[in-house]
Amino acid sequence: MELTLAHGIVKAAALLGAGLCMGMGALGPGVGEGFVAGKACEGIARSPENASLITRTMLVGQAVSESTGIYSLVIALLLIFSS
Amino acid sequence: MITVEHIQIAAFLGAGLCVGIGAVTTGIGSGIIAGEGAYGIVKQPKANDQLFRTMLIGQAAAQTAGIFALVISMLLIYGRSDAPEGGWYKAAAYLAAGLAMGLGSIGPSLGAGYAGGQACKSIARMPKHGNAIMGNMLIGQALSQTSAIFALVVAFLLMYSIPNQPEGITVGRILVKSVGLIGAGLSIGLGTLGPGTGIGFVAGKANDSMGRFPNQKSNIMRTMFLGAAVSESTAIYSLVISFLLIFAL
Repeated sequence: MELTLAHGIVKAAALLGAGLCMGMGALGPGVGEGFVAGKACEGIARSPENASLITRTMLVGQAVSESTGIYSLVIALLLIFSS
Repeated sequence: MITVEHIQIAAFLGAGLCVGIGAVTTGIGSGIIAGEGAYGIVKQPKANDQLFRTMLIGQAAAQTAGIFALVISMLLIYGRSDAPEGGWYKAAAYLAAGLAMGLGSIGPSLGAGYAGGQACKSIARMPKHGNAIMGNMLIGQALSQTSAIFALVVAFLLMYSIPNQPEGITVGRILVKSVGLIGAGLSIGLGTLGPGTGIGFVAGKANDSMGRFPNQKSNIMRTMFLGAAVSESTAIYSLVISFLLIFAL
């Protein structure tokens, strides 16, 4: 397929946007989920009898924190395939 | 019209950015470990040998991502960037490879540095369990370096798997492909920053806890693996987007 220059610029900007979107979008969830898991390690070491409760809370917290990463993924895929 | 100089400018700029950005947190991470190691010797002079050994091994592991950046930068400088038939595709790919590995080594180095620092602190508190703590430190640092390896893979793909620019295509198509490649580099480069740092924090807290409650070793390690795996997921999303930007266009 032949692309005109104007369409090429639009598409190129969308692809750069997709890269930036996923790159920066992964920053927050990565740090946040790591913080959750770090604190969970500390908590389980302190009170091992509550291990299952702490693991459950950790996973739920990480799932919520993951949501913005998934938003970024969806937006990046939309920018790649639908522009 | 593109000349050899254009491609070389891109390759050299990529090489400089790669090792320049990559060296920032490699230095910070090693410094954190050395600081905690020195402070540990003050608190527990008898564990001198053990702390010194842990410090050196931890620093070596924290330098890994910096060494990846150095390798990519050398390959960009001395690789075959003097072939004009590569066109804008190659120029963009070299710049993107430098950005991917340079940005990609920020997070893992910082994470591995934090993990190593907490391990030194922990050994100073409980020298008797030094071996278990050092083992955990190495596993944690390896986990946090996985995202640096993702960046390395993307950098290699960008350097060696991009075809030469075909003859007689429109400016629009060249623009799309070239900017897409730079987007791929930025995606994995920035995307490893969070997971690398986050997993380093998990590993650091696990090392710290192991020094306080050594009998909970298996529980702590299980939680560390689980947490690190979930935290890694966003780096994998970034890797997928990078692959799509490299191969699906």
